Amino acid sequence: MSNYSVIGKPIQRIDGYEKVTGAAKFTTDIRLSGMLWGKMLRSPHPHAKILNIDTSKAKKLPGVKAVITSADTLHIKYSNWRRYPHLMDETPLAEDKVRYIGEPVAAVAAIDEDIAEEALGLIEVDYEVLPAVFDPLEAIKDGAPQIHEGPTVKNNISEARHFEFGDVDEAFKKCDRVREDTFYLHPVSHAFLEPTNSVASWDLNGRLTIWTSTQTPYFIQTLLAMVLGIKEGNIRVIKPHVGGGFGGKMELFSDQYCAARLSMLTGKPVKIELDREEVFIATRRRHPMYYTLKTGYMKDGTLVAKEAKVYTDGGAYNAMGPTSLYLSGFFQIFPYTIPNYRYDGFHIYTNKNPSSAMRGFGGPQAEFTCDSQIDMIADDLGMDPAEIRLKNGMKPGHVIPGLAKVGSCGFEECVKKAMESTKWKEKKGKLPMGRGIGMGCYGFMSGGVFNWIDSPYAYSAAYIRMNVDCTVDVYIGSAEIGQGSDTVAAQIAAEVLGVPMEDVKVIRGDTDSCPPDLGAWGSRQTLMTGNAVKMAAEEIKKQLIEVTASLMVPNVVYDFDIKDGRVFIKDRPERGIELAEVVKTAVRAREGQALFGRGIYTPHGKGMVSPAYSFGAQVAEVEVDLETGKVNMIQVTTAHDCGQVINKLGVEGQLEGAFVMGQGYALSENLITDEGKVLNPSLIDYKLMRAPDIPDNFTSLMVETHEPEGPFGAKEAGEGLTNPNAGCIANTIFDAVGVRIKDMPITPEKILKALDEKKKKEGK
Amino acid sequence: MRDFEYIAPKTVKETLDVLDEYQEDCKIIAGGQSLLNILKQGLMAPEYIIDIKNLEELNYIKFDEKDGLKIGATTTHRSVEFSDTIKEHYNVLSEMERHLATVQIRNWGTIGGNLCIADPTGDVAPPLLAMDATVIIANKDGEREVTVLDFGVDYYETVVGPNELLTEIRVPVIPSNTGIAYLKYRIVEGDAPIVGAAVAFTLNEKGACKKARIGMGGVAPIPIRAEKAEKMFEGEKITDTLIEEAAKVASEETTPIPDIVASAEYKKRVIGVYVKRAAKLALTRAEKAAN
Amino acid sequence: MKKILNVTINGTPYEIAIKPKTTLVEVLRNELNLTGTKRSCNAGGCSSCSVLVDGKVVNSCSVLALQVDGKEVTTIEGIADGAKLHPLQQAFLEHGAYQCGYCTPGMIIAGKALLDENPNPTKQEVKEAIAGNLCRCTGYVRIVDAILATAKKLQEEAK
Repeated sequence: MSNYSVIGKPIQRIDGYEKVTGAAKFTTDIRLSGMLWGKMLRSPHPHAKILNIDTSKAKKLPGVKAVITSADTLHIKYSNWRRYPHLMDETPLAEDKVRYIGEPVAAVAAIDEDIAEEALGLIEVDYEVLPAVFDPLEAIKDGAPQIHEGPTVKNNISEARHFEFGDVDEAFKKCDRVREDTFYLHPVSHAFLEPTNSVASWDLNGRLTIWTSTQTPYFIQTLLAMVLGIKEGNIRVIKPHVGGGFGGKMELFSDQYCAARLSMLTGKPVKIELDREEVFIATRRRHPMYYTLKTGYMKDGTLVAKEAKVYTDGGAYNAMGPTSLYLSGFFQIFPYTIPNYRYDGFHIYTNKNPSSAMRGFGGPQAEFTCDSQIDMIADDLGMDPAEIRLKNGMKPGHVIPGLAKVGSCGFEECVKKAMESTKWKEKKGKLPMGRGIGMGCYGFMSGGVFNWIDSPYAYSAAYIRMNVDCTVDVYIGSAEIGQGSDTVAAQIAAEVLGVPMEDVKVIRGDTDSCPPDLGAWGSRQTLMTGNAVKMAAEEIKKQLIEVTASLMVPNVVYDFDIKDGRVFIKDRPERGIELAEVVKTAVRAREGQALFGRGIYTPHGKGMVSPAYSFGAQVAEVEVDLETGKVNMIQVTTAHDCGQVINKLGVEGQLEGAFVMGQGYALSENLITDEGKVLNPSLIDYKLMRAPDIPDNFTSLMVETHEPEGPFGAKEAGEGLTNPNAGCIANTIFDAVGVRIKDMPITPEKILKALDEKKKKEGK
Repeated sequence: MRDFEYIAPKTVKETLDVLDEYQEDCKIIAGGQSLLNILKQGLMAPEYIIDIKNLEELNYIKFDEKDGLKIGATTTHRSVEFSDTIKEHYNVLSEMERHLATVQIRNWGTIGGNLCIADPTGDVAPPLLAMDATVIIANKDGEREVTVLDFGVDYYETVVGPNELLTEIRVPVIPSNTGIAYLKYRIVEGDAPIVGAAVAFTLNEKGACKKARIGMGGVAPIPIRAEKAEKMFEGEKITDTLIEEAAKVASEETTPIPDIVASAEYKKRVIGVYVKRAAKLALTRAEKAAN
Repeated sequence: MKKILNVTINGTPYEIAIKPKTTLVEVLRNELNLTGTKRSCNAGGCSSCSVLVDGKVVNSCSVLALQVDGKEVTTIEGIADGAKLHPLQQAFLEHGAYQCGYCTPGMIIAGKALLDENPNPTKQEVKEAIAGNLCRCTGYVRIVDAILATAKKLQEEAK
């Protein structure tokens, strides 16, 4: 391993003090003088025509300053799909009809929350209720209610994804065996703890400032400009601390638009904060999917051909659905090599709140089916499930025709390490009835190559200024939302410039001072923003070395390096100069101009999906109560290949958090709807895992590879581990009690029912 | 939440007078751990809120060997959990409280409030049912004693009238040779139970069952007793087989409704499992008490 | 219709006029700008708003503010000793026991309440003590570790 000063170390995060003392300001904490409270009126119907909206009574209520409906908008359809306009299907407020319960229809701004609430009750909306459809398989039938009109939508299918390589039909014919399974994946909510909220302030210079809880400040800036009809440069997006996002805050939402529009109309700051029920019913959710998977294989366990067909419940709008749909087909072929593959995915509108990006971005659905089925195949063949994974596992340099080229890949080592650490061979198939061990594996992207937003800017950028006291200011537009990316950026700058962590300051979350960055999604910031930061720091480093070389006038050409506040000759570290002296000289030599570095990163020639891929293997042990079906997690071990670890503390924290989120996905969480109405819109009724529910033991093993495309060799560590959990848990339950649940979530009741059926079959 | 007038009486007498005056127009708040959510959701919008949270007169835990246990209605769950008196004489209540909801709720919520909200899955009622507990309900003109069995009327509805106040919970002295256990089933910890079962066995000098009580939560509109199953034990030597059979009968005595967490069928089945497990634990405890 | 609330918060007495329906979290955040206490579910289901009332941890969203009249409230802003962090805060830093930080104030308060009552808790007791506090980021592992480590440290210091 390289001899780094801060890279790879368990570094304390740079946002720690403010977070543990309560000083950290989130958007929810912002109150401006003269601020109005905004609230949104939402549709009570899953599908209805809006015949008329009468806001006159609401406007007359004392204390109400403005009421808006779609009539007050520019009627511009928007979404992140700016490069593909046919997919842009949302408006800030419902235009001619509403398509889900909770869809915003009007908004008010008033001097306090109570008055705003009362005003909502005075808005009269005449609806003509339309037939609605809630299941994607119903929605695609002829004669089903049509949720959107338009030339590109037929039978409620807004987008179809197809990819294929190899000769799938021929390959199936050659297989020893073929199996086909259909799975159902249920909807879950991001359940971030900070509710979706914004404060917008319009000033008399015609500029708008918006503080908002977002993962993508630049998307908000550019899309708000579009829907408000003002210049991007006149919008300042400030992203304070963000109380979690998980993919649920990477789009422009109505509350952001309405706060801005209401502020423009009233000339006062306006705050809109969704309550928890609104967050559950009217923000995004993970895609439910009907997922059919057909796999052909040889008797020795070699996977030969695969065909996947997915019908996804997109909800009322596209949101990030087309990408989830694409990635759900793509991650189906990770981390196992499949030479022949065909994928057909359909994004289908239903009258429910839109499904969108959520941690794993289509991956958890794919990996649940893939990993469940590979265990079934192993069972068919009497093979050890770990062996079949090793046999088919991806290797470095693997090419997926037309889609991806894998660089570094530590998959095999991950599986082996996880097996060794958990004593897999001693336990697998040998535990008593009710107790089981199982495996789930994954590969994930390190940032997407996608540019649906159609940004002309580099995907990531960084500016760095080095001051004469050797402190370093890093300006980045990426979004720290809890994952630790600001700390990673600071570490990279500190490492390159040879300064201690406490001398690096990260200026972020403000589009006025930071360069545009595509933000936090698809596990992109360590690799992409990290590369931009590294490039910017290296530009300064180059300048410093030039100055050092001229000061020292070595008689041969040497390589220089900077470490611990000194610039020195690489091979003769005793010969060097204090960094502070070099910096001062460099500034003087440039007529007082500060040392400045700029970096950008945009992936090139890296296929259709991502510049790099992470890999991992997970082994869990559970105990199943045979009388109730309740699953008790005993221990979980994850071996993760995230390339070079940048921050050990951060990676471990991500792995643990991702697992527990996946545990909830597999076992308890479910956003339950009936006729489009969410039945459990509270943190009491929506069952998140709580501290006593987590495994007693949690082991994170790092498998370090070197990713040529990543900064210092680093890649993803944020989302990938959300993908294997459900499959891993399903496999573990199978090992424990011999039942296979394909219909998520895996509730105790389903396990018990399956056990009954199994007993009946066995004639007991 | 709608605005309301706030009245915080200083004494029980004052409270009863105020209740008598406002009747249907008012609502009592104690810890408010459930009531505030009901108000926030607009499911109820009383004109007056009568706050008894700080009514010290009802904050007590008393015990004597003759009358048994008396718990004032505004005693917090946490006080019950930590009470040495309760640990010594009614440990099952301490155990129940230790796992009721979350520590935050136990610190502010009251035992009386919990009973009055009458959530059928509530933790407090089943063990009280197993111990033949009663409650005292007072109004301006006097008070009455009602068994916990007769306290509930329907989902979220009790016999407490609009001018009445639950003031006290009474638990008789536990006979010697008695073992009691309460176990509950939930999918996520810190959550309300799906079902809960409390079983009390009193053994005679020969080690057979002198008296059995089974309290169940989450399986009917109100917390109920499994009276048929109880009878199966009385006079009998308690064996695993008998427990299994009685648990099945107890399960048949329930009328759960399906909800978003579980089907009626599943609840029926799981209550049987929990009656069985609680019975086994209660038996072990009774046998230990007898030795 | 407003009522006067007299309450001591982090050692400072306050006299505030509020509507009776105001909850404690609303007083802290809206009236006193003590925004360290977070509101998330507003229904007692997540405990992000945990504060101490007379030393006991409660959900401040589920407490009518008038009910704390005459009592002492401690929030996340009140547990450090000047610039010196409370040992739990220090442990949360060292263990990386927070990510987005939104549940963190409530978690630390719940942890403090536990250690004040039970200075030497088991791992299971720690998990139960924070069972009300939801965290969507960390998976709780490091939070449990940080609380246990603090208990150990405080025990050693007391020797």
